Amino acid sequence: MFGAARLTVCMVFGMLIVLSAPDTHAQSGTTVEAIRAELETLKRQYEDRISTLESQLEALKHESHEDEHEDEPHARDHSDPPHQDNAFNPSISLVLDGRVANHSADESELAGYPAGHESGRTPSGLSLGHSELVMNGSIDDKFMGNLTLGLGVHPGEPVELELEEAYVRTLPGIGIMDGFQLTAGRALWTFGYLNEFHAHADDFADRPLPYRAYLDGAFNDDGVEMSLVLPTDMFAEFGGGVFRGDDMPFGGSDSGVEAWSAYGRIGGDAGRDGAWRVGASILNGRAHDRMGGVHVHDDVHDDHGDPGHDDDPGHDDDHDDDHDHDHDDDHLGLHDDDDDDHEEEEHEHLADFFTGGAFTGNTRLVALDVRYTWAPTGNPRESELILQGEYFWRVESGLYTLHEEHETCEDPDDPHTCHVETEDVVLDLDGGSSGWYVQGVYKFSPQWRAGARYARLEMPKDAEAEEDHSAFSAMVDWSSSEFGRVRLQYNRENLYEQEDDNQVMLQYIMSLGAHGAHSF
Amino acid sequence: MMGRMYRFALSVLIAGILSVALPASATAETRILACEPEWAAIAREIGGSDVVVHSATHARQDAHYIRARPGLIAQIRRADILFCSGADLEAGWLPVLLKRGARLVVQHGQPGNIMASDYVRMLEVPDNLDRSHGHVHPAGNPHVHLDPENIGILARILTERLVLIDPDNADGYHSRHADFTARWDKARATWRSRAEKLQGMKVIVHHTSWPYLLQWIGLDRVIALEVLPGVSPTASHLAQVLDRVSSSDADAILLTPFDPRDAAEWVSARSGVPVVELPFTVGGREGVDDLFSLFDVTLELLEGARG
Repeated sequence: MFGAARLTVCMVFGMLIVLSAPDTHAQSGTTVEAIRAELETLKRQYEDRISTLESQLEALKHESHEDEHEDEPHARDHSDPPHQDNAFNPSISLVLDGRVANHSADESELAGYPAGHESGRTPSGLSLGHSELVMNGSIDDKFMGNLTLGLGVHPGEPVELELEEAYVRTLPGIGIMDGFQLTAGRALWTFGYLNEFHAHADDFADRPLPYRAYLDGAFNDDGVEMSLVLPTDMFAEFGGGVFRGDDMPFGGSDSGVEAWSAYGRIGGDAGRDGAWRVGASILNGRAHDRMGGVHVHDDVHDDHGDPGHDDDPGHDDDHDDDHDHDHDDDHLGLHDDDDDDHEEEEHEHLADFFTGGAFTGNTRLVALDVRYTWAPTGNPRESELILQGEYFWRVESGLYTLHEEHETCEDPDDPHTCHVETEDVVLDLDGGSSGWYVQGVYKFSPQWRAGARYARLEMPKDAEAEEDHSAFSAMVDWSSSEFGRVRLQYNRENLYEQEDDNQVMLQYIMSLGAHGAHSF
Repeated sequence: MMGRMYRFALSVLIAGILSVALPASATAETRILACEPEWAAIAREIGGSDVVVHSATHARQDAHYIRARPGLIAQIRRADILFCSGADLEAGWLPVLLKRGARLVVQHGQPGNIMASDYVRMLEVPDNLDRSHGHVHPAGNPHVHLDPENIGILARILTERLVLIDPDNADGYHSRHADFTARWDKARATWRSRAEKLQGMKVIVHHTSWPYLLQWIGLDRVIALEVLPGVSPTASHLAQVLDRVSSSDADAILLTPFDPRDAAEWVSARSGVPVVELPFTVGGREGVDDLFSLFDVTLELLEGARG
């Protein structure tokens, strides 16, 4: 059977050579080598065609083999539900998230890190979290596609439609290589443990400090990523990607390819009822005027009031770029108004560059993640212990530009003589820092879980802060089913130079519609 | 200094991956990943020493709800045959394994993919689908292995696939299949006569895990302890169960090894109906280490309950 197919293809191949030859001759000045090269190419193409045909034959053979069974008495009872017109529609799921929160501190600012949409605490009182609309489905046997729309609601602002994910991904049917997967578009990329998951699948109502500070919740830039699972006894996977460089920790992509990542993971079973996984990831790239913000003295820095944020690639285009790269060598040397600088003011001032300044330079984030699950009965549905931790290490240095406004008055008693001067101050600073969290969640009955988490985050190196940020969280949640969950969470946040904040949150997360399988 | 640490971390990582990757390259056996122990047992009968069999779940695990563990992704990545119940029993984790393992030969429609529910007559196929009806399986009840006839069908299907995938060992597969079928048919005849004596026995079930066994023997299901499939028993529902029990004289409350015992014991204490934990699958009880003892012991326990 294969022989016949091969013969046919060879005949077609031969005919094509004959047919294509005069064409080649027609092009004047073509050398014999060129013809040979072209023939080589054709030959390779047709060899590929042969192997494709062979695999199709294999599939056909298999199909006819299945048909045989269907004629037998014990074959499948054709009681499938009737096919409907919408059978090929993508599966749709809707995630609804609502909260009520109370905070003991009036304000909360994660000093040293730019304020993004996901970096702040849950708003006080009643609010909506992220509502998500997820649509996905197979495109054919080789690709699947996914679209995730996030509806961000921030009190006092119009509802914001955010394209969280829009990607296509290869299916195993593409047959490039077993264990291989390629994703292109915008996705929650593989980095650390939490990044690739939707926040509604998290074990706590908010992301731990390092995710809020380093990634503004999660890294979902535009890009391409590949991964390969190795054929080993122990689970081993590695991969990496290239990205546009517009999303935190990058921003303001110039060339459109400004960042790359790489990761590796191993894992396996631990006894009959346990499993583990350990991974390391790196995310490296360049930021241009990332998160520039107007710095206003004594401004109440609310969670979402910052004019610049990472989801707006066009931000601060109107921002005067008054530095050039010749300044790279100047270290702390660009104070125009340094005459009256006091020690303390300078410290506060430096932290402000990290919090509200626009950053241009290289940034690199390394993450180590570990996760262990143990179901004491073998059934995670009945009871389960999950331990998880991640360590992050950021190397970031470059120029931080702070857009400052000063009010100067010729006559201090007459407001009419005052005018606002704006000025860009540029400093070359080391923004290196590290952060980590550990958490444990225990499911003590099929519907109830309790968990605790501790997170710590250093201030950037040149902010010269004496203390770290830290936060402790405890939560209890109740699940009505696989699709509905209500959670009560307590946070105690000790943020640098902020009043200690006791937060209590009650949250519901419900999902409707198609519900995919869960990853580990 | 930091740069040096990265390089160190990176090289440790690469070395780690290589060290686990290298020893695995040369194994010629056909690898079978079974989702449940019953399919692993068939695979051992037919494959003998020509195959390496791994089961994703053990007998004390509810196959509806396990995690898509990294170890299972590694298993499916190397599997030549995936042998599962199908009908969405494994819907919570198998799709992740299939995608992440990305092994072509075990994907749906490929020769290495065997879903038992594609080859047997399905029971409890729902007329309409709604999540408010509990954890329903659109293709019907997936616990198809507790009818000996279905085991026979799947043994034949597996044999055909093994021959297709590993033709070098075809003779071994055919002869082990012939041997198994002879022993199985003989056992089935004995079980048939024992089952006839159990016909009409009334049972309460925890979850709807037993329709194929019930139909094969001819048992009557009085009621389920779960409010709806997959929805845990509530006090009001258990009160209703007690009412039904007193009016219908049930003989036994059937449990799998992984069902929670509290609800069954509560009803048993108030009604005097004995709780009978059946092995459900291979490994579900001491001494149940193959398919023959699975059915032997199941019948024994039911005979004991009837008294």
